[in-house]
Amino acid sequence: MSGANVHHWRNQRISALVLIPLTLWFVAAIYAHLGDDHAQFVAWLSRPLPALLMAALVVSAAYHFAVGVREVLVDYVQDPRLHRLSKSAVYLGNLALTLIALAALAKIWLGG
Amino acid sequence: MTPVERPLSPHLLIYKPQLTSLGSLFHRGTGFALGFGFVPLLWWLVAAAWSDGAYALVQSFWGSWFGQFCFFGWTFSVFYHLLNGIRHLSWDAGFGFELKTLYRTGWTVITASVVLTIAAYIVAYHLRGPL
Repeated sequence: MSGANVHHWRNQRISALVLIPLTLWFVAAIYAHLGDDHAQFVAWLSRPLPALLMAALVVSAAYHFAVGVREVLVDYVQDPRLHRLSKSAVYLGNLALTLIALAALAKIWLGG
Repeated sequence: MTPVERPLSPHLLIYKPQLTSLGSLFHRGTGFALGFGFVPLLWWLVAAAWSDGAYALVQSFWGSWFGQFCFFGWTFSVFYHLLNGIRHLSWDAGFGFELKTLYRTGWTVITASVVLTIAAYIVAYHLRGPL
């Protein structure tokens, strides 16, 4: 168990470092494209670099969130069954949302 | 072996609130908020991939007072979590543990987050006008 926690501690830091530049890009991008109409937004997100950065952001943010929630569960949820169940739910939920986001990005990339 | 009944950590209700503990609590709070902020992002992406009508619905949400309120909170959460996260990374590297430094960086993060949030809004307003 302790091995798994060290592993998660390290990965939380790695994803945090990756997220620093991605977040700065993301905030600027969101503010720049918040008022886009559909055609403008799709045209922007179907370009390779924004599409790639958005996919990288979604994956690393979802992972960082899952590890962060896991840390909170380790601190506060004592019942072993509830602990396992809630951890799995967080991971599966994040995985599902990430896959949906990537599918949407792929569809936009391939031409809406 | 029966598991030892350990106290929950940290003792949120017993511990006297101070900048350091509240800052930590707030880091987790904003982290959760950002995680749930994933849902509107997902909605936006899926709507853009889906249809004109679905996308227009998302835009009308961001244009509503509730959407603006969420977006303002989201922006503040991003800046706070980002800056305080960098503070965390410096602790991991062994820097900034002196009490005086802790308080100084703590207040810096809070002030900078507020300033950056307002600045982002002003810049966006100047670039695009009201949403």
